[in-house]
Amino acid sequence: MSSLKHFLLRAVITLLFLAVPILGVWTFVKAEEWGLWFPPTYSTYGPSIDFLFDVIMWMVAVTFVGTELLLVWFFFRYSKKDATRATYTHGNHTLEMVWTAIPALLLIFVAFSQMKAWSTVKINFPEDGPYTVAKPLMEIYASQFDWRVRYPDAQGNFEGADVIEVPYDITVPADTKVVLRLKSRDVLHSFFVPVFRLKQDAVPGMEIPVWFEATRPGDYDLICAELCGWGHYKMAGKIHVLPKDEFASWLAKQRENLYAKD
Amino acid sequence: MIVRRHRSAALLAAVALTLTLSCKFEPFTPELHYSLNGPVVEKNPDLQGDPGAQAQLAGVLEMLVGTPKDPRFLALKDWDFDPNYWGEDLVKKDENALAALIASNRAAYREQIASIEAGDFENVFQPRFADDLWRWWLALKAEKAGDAAALKEEGVKLFSEYYPSLSNSAAFYRNQCFHCHGTEGGGNGSTSRFLNPRPRDYRPGKFKFTALKGKSRPRHEDVYRVLTEGVYTTAMPSFRRFTDAQLHGLVDYVRLLAIRGETEILLASFYTSDEGLSLESVQENYGDVVAKWRGASKQVIAAEDIPAVTPERLAHGRTLFMTPGEKGGANCVSCHGTSGRGDGASAFEVDPLTKETRRVKDEWGNEISVRDLTRGVFRFGRRPIDLYRRIYAGINGTPMPEHIGMTVTEDGKQHPMTESDIWDLAFFVRTLSVHEATVAAAPSHH
Ligand code: HEC
Ligand code: HEC
Ligand SMILES: [Cu+2]
Repeated sequence: MSSLKHFLLRAVITLLFLAVPILGVWTFVKAEEWGLWFPPTYSTYGPSIDFLFDVIMWMVAVTFVGTELLLVWFFFRYSKKDATRATYTHGNHTLEMVWTAIPALLLIFVAFSQMKAWSTVKINFPEDGPYTVAKPLMEIYASQFDWRVRYPDAQGNFEGADVIEVPYDITVPADTKVVLRLKSRDVLHSFFVPVFRLKQDAVPGMEIPVWFEATRPGDYDLICAELCGWGHYKMAGKIHVLPKDEFASWLAKQRENLYAKD
Repeated sequence: MIVRRHRSAALLAAVALTLTLSCKFEPFTPELHYSLNGPVVEKNPDLQGDPGAQAQLAGVLEMLVGTPKDPRFLALKDWDFDPNYWGEDLVKKDENALAALIASNRAAYREQIASIEAGDFENVFQPRFADDLWRWWLALKAEKAGDAAALKEEGVKLFSEYYPSLSNSAAFYRNQCFHCHGTEGGGNGSTSRFLNPRPRDYRPGKFKFTALKGKSRPRHEDVYRVLTEGVYTTAMPSFRRFTDAQLHGLVDYVRLLAIRGETEILLASFYTSDEGLSLESVQENYGDVVAKWRGASKQVIAAEDIPAVTPERLAHGRTLFMTPGEKGGANCVSCHGTSGRGDGASAFEVDPLTKETRRVKDEWGNEISVRDLTRGVFRFGRRPIDLYRRIYAGINGTPMPEHIGMTVTEDGKQHPMTESDIWDLAFFVRTLSVHEATVAAAPSHH
């Protein structure tokens, strides 16, 4: 092969390699425009999750671009026809220290910066609002392949005869700390509400508390985020967030309907 | 050397070509014809061995209800309604149902309607699962080409009052229901073998969950409710994720399949080689089946008033429930058991063939569990009125019997059970799932 041909081949393959980081970054730049980015967030803790996501994404982005460029450069530099023979080395102690210490520091940083968000979402459940872990607004039963919400009777009793049970449509008040109890009738499911940035597995045999405070009335998607069987793809629901007073009258209406004559 | 290189290039090209060709996605389309009901045909020796006769039966049925691709009721001369617009007429007559339909269409076709209202007709894109709506829209657009104001007005009306045609609902049924309920609605789709209870076979016209007396065919509302609520803890899911219009359309198509199936059963049983299928008998049987569906709404179990729950009523319900039939009680205990767990003696029987004890069978021939009433799971509504109706009329096709008018003996006197007795039973059943402790502590007459 002539040396010109070899150079061209190197150049083409290097450019192909270079296309990986470029396209990778490009998809992220364009993601929002193409509708691939997150939906807006409408829960009180949503922004803190987004912040964590951004922090980690930037860390990964810098690392990704750096390593990719290095890879491309190495490829180009060391694919010369007259390449020098490889030599054995025992490594570079300083370099290894540096590239161990930096990721370790970054991981420690991530570990600390997420603690607040984690405890808010998963540990410190609301205690001052109308709903608490002991007295949740509702129970949500996941089963193959639907979601059922159960509202307790007027005494807060989930075993009472006057429990309200609805498939698919989950109605909650806005601007209220809503606590719910998540259960599964059969296999693992996962309660995922993208606009609340909330995801929690439902585990058979367990009653798992979940909470959120919706900041904007509207209808939002609920999807199952744990492959639970052949019908998993259609295990969807809707969260209807109503203004507080409307929610109260909605619930009263449901209690009334329980004794409807038709 | 050169030849070899060319050969490998050709090989590579061939592989690439095969891959691209095989990746061309062909959606699976089920066979688009209705098959005859095998077991029913087998029962009539005149039909069974005679392909000509079977073809005649299939032809007659096709004349009556069309094909899966083009389902279409034959409207008899003396009918004052067109069964092809059965559901649409009902919905558009009912103010609330119509308002709900429009609201749901407006939400589903929000973007199309916005484009039409903005006069941006070229930007209206094709909605999913609504080929007929799309065809109607294109036709309207062509017809009103020069008249933007009229196109706007009628376009918005078209989308917001959309009600699917039977053929569109049939296609939607094949998309959503066919794998369980089968092409003919025989409850024998490919998934059905793995399910218990089995998906409903619509063909005998027996439906479990209605608000009706006796063995009536369901009303439009009854089937609609099955679709929105699902049958909890069975494989039959809730279909709330679809629009009102789509669900009404499915109800229409289920009705068509059920009418086809029942007519088939009747015609197959009357067929004789000597006479074939006479036009009168076809008309008469088809007319009778349709009449049963038309008359359903006269059979509603209405509740004048829901009585207040009192300890006396609960105690009375308990006594009726717990007292076996031979002692003059309502006999629920024989199937549902003393704890209500569905483990009474009559929940099981000895199989005549294998001599083994197994669960009782329903009328479709599948083993069925008597409901465990302590779990608070009711398959078709947990409101007092729902349970009242279940107990009043029984559950069609299952051993759960009708109870209204059943003879019971109380205080040494025989009397038929009244509405009030049924309410007492319904109230008592509701307490069974509250807490076993409460049940055990409930006062008893004995
Ligand atoms: C995963 C399987 C499955 C799918 C999909 C399914 N069904 Fe069903 N369906 C069932 C089962 C199982 C039952 C029986 C429940 C019972 O007997 O308690 C049933 C029962 C019914 C009934 C009878 C209720 C009654 O009163 O007797 C109707 C009507 C019905 N389905 C309609 C539909 C329609 C329409 C669709 C599609 C939109 C559909 N089903 C999709 C499994 C399914
Ligand atoms: C011969 C047996 C039998 C008797 C007697 C019987 N049941 Fe049932 N019952 C059943 C079966 C079987 C089912 C389940 C049917 C099904 O699959 O949907 C059932 C279901 C029920 C349900 C559940 C309805 C739902 O929505 O899930 C209730 C409530 C009920 N029975 C109450 C009663 C009461 C009250 C009595 C006495 C007045 C009674 N049953 C007598 C067999 C029986
Ligand atoms: Cu799931």
